[in-house]
Amino acid sequence: MTQTDLAAFLAHSVELESEARERYLELADAMRAHHNTEVADFFMRMAHESGLHLEEVAQIAAENALPDLKPWEFDWPGEESPETASYEAIHYRLSLRQAIQLALENELAAQAFYASFAQSSADATTAELAAQFAHEESQHAAQLSVMLKELPPDDAHHREDDDDPHMPE
Amino acid sequence: MNDVITFKAKDYKSGVKPIWCPGCGHFSVFNAVTKAMAGLGMNKDDTVLVSGIGCSSRLPAYVDSYGFHGVHGRGLAIAQGLKVARPELTVIAMGGDGDGFSIGGNHFMHACRRNVDITYVVMDNEVYGMTKGQASPTTPMDWDHSKLTPHGPGVRPFKPAALALAAGAPWIARAYSGNPNQMAHLLAQAIEFPGFSFLHVLSQCITFCPQQTDWKAIVNERQDAALEDEDEAARLFLHEDGFQTGLLYQRQRPTWPPEAAPPNDPDLTGGFRL
Amino acid sequence: MSLSIAITGAGGAGVISCGELLLQGWAREGGRGLLRKAFGPQIRGGESAALLKLTEHERYTAATSYDVLLALDWNNFSRFEDEIRLRPDSWIICEPDEDIPAAVLALEPRIARLPIAALAAQAHSDGRVNMIAVGVLGKLLGLSHTSLAGLAAQKLGHKPASYQQAATACIAEGQQYDLEITVDTPRREAGNRWYISGNQAAGLGALEAGVRFVAAYPITPASDVLEWMAGGLEKVGGNLVQAEDELAAINMTIGAAFGGVTAFTATSGPGLALMTESIGLAVASETPVTVFNVQRGGPSTGIPTKSEQSDLDIALHGLHGDAPHLVLAPLNIADCVYTTAWAVKLARHLQTPAIVLSDQFIGQSSAIVTEPRRCEVQLAAKRADDNDYLRYRLTEDGVSAVAAPGEPDRRFTADGLEHNEKGTPSASNADHQRQLDKRARKLTAFDYGSDWADLNGNGEVALLCFGSASAAVEEAAALLAQRGFTTRTIALRLLAPLPHDALHAALEGSSELVIVEQNHSAQLWRYLRGAMDFAQRLHSYAIAGPVPLSAELIAHYCEEVLAP
Repeated sequence: MTQTDLAAFLAHSVELESEARERYLELADAMRAHHNTEVADFFMRMAHESGLHLEEVAQIAAENALPDLKPWEFDWPGEESPETASYEAIHYRLSLRQAIQLALENELAAQAFYASFAQSSADATTAELAAQFAHEESQHAAQLSVMLKELPPDDAHHREDDDDPHMPE
Repeated sequence: MNDVITFKAKDYKSGVKPIWCPGCGHFSVFNAVTKAMAGLGMNKDDTVLVSGIGCSSRLPAYVDSYGFHGVHGRGLAIAQGLKVARPELTVIAMGGDGDGFSIGGNHFMHACRRNVDITYVVMDNEVYGMTKGQASPTTPMDWDHSKLTPHGPGVRPFKPAALALAAGAPWIARAYSGNPNQMAHLLAQAIEFPGFSFLHVLSQCITFCPQQTDWKAIVNERQDAALEDEDEAARLFLHEDGFQTGLLYQRQRPTWPPEAAPPNDPDLTGGFRL
Repeated sequence: MSLSIAITGAGGAGVISCGELLLQGWAREGGRGLLRKAFGPQIRGGESAALLKLTEHERYTAATSYDVLLALDWNNFSRFEDEIRLRPDSWIICEPDEDIPAAVLALEPRIARLPIAALAAQAHSDGRVNMIAVGVLGKLLGLSHTSLAGLAAQKLGHKPASYQQAATACIAEGQQYDLEITVDTPRREAGNRWYISGNQAAGLGALEAGVRFVAAYPITPASDVLEWMAGGLEKVGGNLVQAEDELAAINMTIGAAFGGVTAFTATSGPGLALMTESIGLAVASETPVTVFNVQRGGPSTGIPTKSEQSDLDIALHGLHGDAPHLVLAPLNIADCVYTTAWAVKLARHLQTPAIVLSDQFIGQSSAIVTEPRRCEVQLAAKRADDNDYLRYRLTEDGVSAVAAPGEPDRRFTADGLEHNEKGTPSASNADHQRQLDKRARKLTAFDYGSDWADLNGNGEVALLCFGSASAAVEEAAALLAQRGFTTRTIALRLLAPLPHDALHAALEGSSELVIVEQNHSAQLWRYLRGAMDFAQRLHSYAIAGPVPLSAELIAHYCEEVLAP
């Protein structure tokens, strides 16, 4: 059971970090196409950080045989993996503050997910690793909180375009 | 690192950048398509995504498989022709509510009836996005945000699942863009189902229908097993609010075309010779 | 010489079967001939006519007048008056106590009374009048009872045995009846011949060229192409899908062709109109499909059962945008095999749609023809040999390498949106210009060889036509030759891309150019005038259907043009 605990935990960790990274990359591309450069750059930075974490997790995972879980077989607390920015939370005129706020929520969700593993796992290695990951996520969250504090408040929720939407086809 | 993250959804992305607005539900469908392909370990070379015209119909170009981006409303016809001609391929047709239920409505009915072994994903955001937000067959009758119908379309939206059932679709499911993992699972089942599988996706349009972000609070996942009885399914599809997700109806029946007898006579000219 | 026989009667009276049996019997004994069918609009009942023309050659035109008219009854005969012209020396065969229409009597034709119904009743309790007609006319043509009875048994094979017995008895009864008339019959000679309709020939050509997928939506007069192919595909393998409409039919065809399977659909004017948007998709996505269009009287529902060459405009110009594609036209019934096969092969090689313009006249007529010529040309699909695959790669000849799903390392998304070489949608000027040039170049740079037209003669007067008008034009040229005019004829098989240089060369040395076509607005004449400059004086002979083109009238027009 202990072995299974660790393998399952690592499989979830790899998926969590790689999904977070993929989603940030996708959102960064989309934001760049819509000229929201500030947010695009921020999402790129988040993708990079998730990438670093992914490498760390993957190195540990490489020493273990992980279960072959299909994308819908992971056991997440919500609908998607916790660090992944939800599609419907996004708007192309998203402000940097809103983007950071969103990322902060993602980091906190990831922290909570790892923390719950740390508390509930009977396997010492798993609990130790989970606690370590939770700590790392809380550090990220703290950095984002600092960034938020330094930002001036937004003047409007979703700013409107001056032109109507396009008619591409 | 590579060893543990092979067959990932991202490997099924072509690298072409989507044109969709950030916040568009179609990103989620794209995510689910690649996850379903990864989950099933699908061979990219043997998979074809076929679409019509519209925001959602841009999806095939974003997936690293074969694809066909056709004309408005005809994706299902292209997909069926392809599958009949090349039965060994996995064919997934897709498009929007305008494409599938309005201009392509006839093909939708007949695809349900014909039961060729393909999957059809309709990304329903209740609006024509590519032409600047006009009402579609699924738009609420009082939706007055389009200059084309400033007082709302004034026409009752139709119920895609009920129509599919009446036309004979043997597999009907609904997904929501807010839950790509559930959608990926449904899509995987749709692909594996032998016959015409119809996946109706509630896919929000952030630009023209921002109120659809409210869907998150309304959608509810079906807990019971899929219905097998047509009468029960008819009652469900006619009276539900349309926000129940999951596999709703499944009743397998023979696919078309049936197994053909082997060619029996290479001589075509015998009937003409005197 | 030729002998023309019209057999008319109420729909269901069996005149078509009568005509078929006579022509097949005639063919078995070395004869040549054509059977045209004319119908009223009713599904059952109404009126119908079997129009036989027995000849000594295979230049099959509709008869301009009839030597023999056998009327099983005179109901609604007036509807055929313009198509079944009679002369004072025509023989009218009809029931003794039926009134002959005044318009027929006015010609003072020769009349032979035949108690058809009485003979049928006398021959067999289940006797049929049309089999009496087979016997009487068979005797007139010198056909044997054994042969005709054998053919009738074959034809009625699926019906109860009493039908066959009745048919045999009636044919014998008819042959024994002494009508006391004689006709001159054309010479016959043994040969390797077929009995085939243009629509069957088109289906054969398509399957022989490798068509293995057909999408079908029923329409007159194209349905029998599709019906024949349904049976043909069971012999050679492949699929036929009955689509929900023509929009589905063309797109199913495109889907199958994208899958690398040679695909085909057949339709008529209204269906072609519905298909045009997606034929444009086949142009843009470079997907090879063949659309076989059996023309009928238009516009709109028009005259579905009768012939016209009035879909040239839509076939050439019906697609939106700059959409170069192939347009071909079979010249006669036998040529439906060759031209359809050629169209399929060209479309596949050049990765573009081909529209083939047949018509009701050659499509639904059956004829005795020398074994049709086959399209032997081998056109291999260009394949990629590198790993840097680009589906729409710009090449010197404009043709890019094809790939179909299932092939490793060739994945692409075909697109009707303008695209770059890879297939990725692009609205850039450079991509648009390059892809437009490429799609035009692949058609114009290709060497179509000598089959773009059939050429005969080198006279100063050129008669130019396309498709099925060719027989009437050849016949007119023969008449003109008898009257001392030397002509040359050019029957276009390839209409788009127009082979300008070859056409100029074919016209070299001529001074008058008569453009002959069966439509009201001179569509070919307008097309050619817009497409190239001519040194010749141009004359338009454009007559709408449904009456078939007449060689005599064409010749007469030419004589007037040439009159000093």
